[in-house]
Amino acid sequence: MNEREMRDFMAGLSAEVDATLRGEPTRRDFIRRFGMMVGMIPLAGGLLSSVSTMALAQAEAEMADPASPLGKAQAAAFAASTEGPKDGSAYRAAEAAKAFSGVTLSLTSEAGLQGLDPRNFSGPMWEKLTGIKTNVVELAWPDLFSKAVAEHIAGSGAYDVLDVAPMWTPSLADGGVIQPLDDYIAKYMNPADLDDYHPLYKALPTYKGKIWGFFDDGDIFALYYRKDIFEDPKLMEAYQAKFGAPLAPPKTWPEYIQIAQFITDNMAPNVYGAGHFRKAGSPGNQFDFLQQFRANGGQLFDGDMKAAIASDAGVLTLNNMIAANNASIPGNNELDAVSLWAAFLTGKVAMIYSWPPSGRMSAGYSQTAAAINFIPQSQIAGKVGYSVVPGNPEHATGFNKALAADSANPEAAYLLMQWMTSPPVSLARVMLPYALRDPYRLSHFTSDLYAALWPDARAYLINLNNSANVGLLDPIIPGAQDYFLSIDRMATSVWAGADPKTALEVAAAEWNDTTDRLGAEAQKGYYQEFLKLPGATADNTVEKLGLAVKLD
Amino acid sequence: MSNSTVSVRLDAAGAPPPLSAAGRWAERHFKWLLVAPAVVFILALSVYPLLFSLVVSFINYDFQVPGHAFVGFKNFERVINDPVARWSLVLTAVLSSASVAVEFALGLVLALAMVKEFRGRAVVMSILIIPLFISPVIVGQLWALLLQRPFGPTNYILSQIFGHEVTISWLTQSPWMYLALILADVWQWTPFMFVILLAGLTSIPPNLYEAAELDGVGPWLTFRAITLPHLAPMITLAITFRLLDAIRLFDIIFMMTGGGPGTQTYTASYYLYTVGFTQFHLSQATAGSWLFLFFTLLVVTLLVRRLLRTEVR
Repeated sequence: MNEREMRDFMAGLSAEVDATLRGEPTRRDFIRRFGMMVGMIPLAGGLLSSVSTMALAQAEAEMADPASPLGKAQAAAFAASTEGPKDGSAYRAAEAAKAFSGVTLSLTSEAGLQGLDPRNFSGPMWEKLTGIKTNVVELAWPDLFSKAVAEHIAGSGAYDVLDVAPMWTPSLADGGVIQPLDDYIAKYMNPADLDDYHPLYKALPTYKGKIWGFFDDGDIFALYYRKDIFEDPKLMEAYQAKFGAPLAPPKTWPEYIQIAQFITDNMAPNVYGAGHFRKAGSPGNQFDFLQQFRANGGQLFDGDMKAAIASDAGVLTLNNMIAANNASIPGNNELDAVSLWAAFLTGKVAMIYSWPPSGRMSAGYSQTAAAINFIPQSQIAGKVGYSVVPGNPEHATGFNKALAADSANPEAAYLLMQWMTSPPVSLARVMLPYALRDPYRLSHFTSDLYAALWPDARAYLINLNNSANVGLLDPIIPGAQDYFLSIDRMATSVWAGADPKTALEVAAAEWNDTTDRLGAEAQKGYYQEFLKLPGATADNTVEKLGLAVKLD
Repeated sequence: MSNSTVSVRLDAAGAPPPLSAAGRWAERHFKWLLVAPAVVFILALSVYPLLFSLVVSFINYDFQVPGHAFVGFKNFERVINDPVARWSLVLTAVLSSASVAVEFALGLVLALAMVKEFRGRAVVMSILIIPLFISPVIVGQLWALLLQRPFGPTNYILSQIFGHEVTISWLTQSPWMYLALILADVWQWTPFMFVILLAGLTSIPPNLYEAAELDGVGPWLTFRAITLPHLAPMITLAITFRLLDAIRLFDIIFMMTGGGPGTQTYTASYYLYTVGFTQFHLSQATAGSWLFLFFTLLVVTLLVRRLLRTEVR
């Protein structure tokens, strides 16, 4: 060691020794403390967990004014769960579930408004009844499928009850992600409650002869129109004079276009004849095409499972849709579902067809909840009539509650599903002003409490029932989202000027690619299963099968 | 400090306690222990997923097709043969180039305007850089609301300005939708260019400008002979950073056009998102990501080389 190195060494040594004498931390101290910190991590995890559990603890159930129709429905749901009837599905579920008091069930829910019911109402009430806590996991719509599958692959048991689109049932059932409910149903459910489903919805969770969930959202499209415009004497006279027919809610698509154009010609720019949600990615294109295409006699696939949409029915459908667009509010092709509602609620369009919340919003009922404050107040309350969509309305998606195959508490999870979808509890849920769950049981359609929500609510319920009688189901086959995406791309390219026939051929090629990817034979089997369901085609609607429910 | 002083201090401290075997090991590997947590995190959160994604791109990993069979290059073939994928790559190149070019031009003009002191300069600068702090999703929503028919005010304002009705479908009509996307991106990211270039301008020695002024050199020649050469490294840096970010363009597309009409506004990121998270073809999306990464690397390599060359000069 030369002199300089010796000097550096001594200086370093001196500094370290001085630090030790001053009680400053040494490397050894650092290592020890670092080890202690690492050791604290498991403890901190437990601590954080308990803190987060406290933070996320469920509040009391939000109850409406007991004198209001909703308050009465909520009280009835509670009474049915605690007092009976003893053979009711709600009572039997709540009683049996007490054996599982203390467990926590995780429910998936579409993020946003859909999650409010289990968070604010049904979840807290279930806990009060049974001692079972619920943890609502809000997910973006596509993640309701992908996360369920991913967690199943991982075997995490993260979810107990899954909110799934009916079209996913074959994939989830064959993939072992969900489990059949038949044994539980036989053990716990009052069979009469299964018969309380509208026939369009009753068979929806059925696949290969087993029941894979409970239907929980009657998403049928219906036509909402301005009664005051349709009953305007001057317009009625002018329409009669021009077309030799009374101005009335349309029964066919050509009539629809004609009326929309007539109103636009006579009332624009104050009011336009119609509006549609046509923006790319908003699902209006796929639902509208599917309902009109099938009402026009179109078949989705031929006998060899080749796409059959590039047909005369396809061209007719797209041409009708283009004509409807041209008769509609400017910017029609840029509207999504919410902006279409805004246009209707502010009185800018005379007709829309959309999901059932349209009726509740136009009556101003939904907007009584703060959660719906992104929707304008209705300027057309009391002026809205309800009618069946021309031809056959689409049942646009809907939801099933399904039992996760990896649930650690499958029986408790099943009981929650049975309770939530039981007649009295589901009625209270579909009556929530912020609900996006729509009536689906016969007892919903005939409910005096629901009918008391606003003056025309009875007519609204009857129209939803009548729509379901002639309604069409989304294709329930694997790859449905691929087929739908192709329709959306096709439609929006046509709105931008593409030739309908060419666009149909491109979409058909994409459909065939999807079918090949998933296996043509397997897809054919799934499609054949789907065709057995009421509402799979315009030729086997509930009504044509003689199963229609008539309400006065 | 003498050796005797050190000795006295050591005596006062007493002999250090003997280390255990573990202590000696820790003493020897102290530096590795310090970096170990970071390395573990990087491996767990970055390297492992990267390697796993490479595996996924060669197997079937599709939420609709059970099993994870080895499929070779089939996932890559699907992407390469998909006209939507090819179009999305072209659009990504066009949109990102156009956006960055406009942002550079505007950013340079703004930086030149703001380089000199003037009253209220700080306030103006603060306002100018606000868009940088806004989430791209919000920017997309903001511009969608401004441009969307029939509720957006843009057409109304243009109608008032031009004195006749303007009925442009900004979000669904070509070429307006491309202009709208570029406009939203430029609005948000021009301040980034501005800030970087302003920093570059302020670092140019003022005596160069003084000398030029004394020599009677005109403003244009001053700009070409002094400003541009001195600013060149910063320009390359800003363009490199912006371009790398711009080719990931997703949020604005998602909020403004949803990829439509048809697939006309699919960028590479939007395409990968759709395949992976709307259609659930994860292995195809992963293979596409690797292909996209390859193309990105080409661009990055070119830009970084250029950057290094500028620095050397």
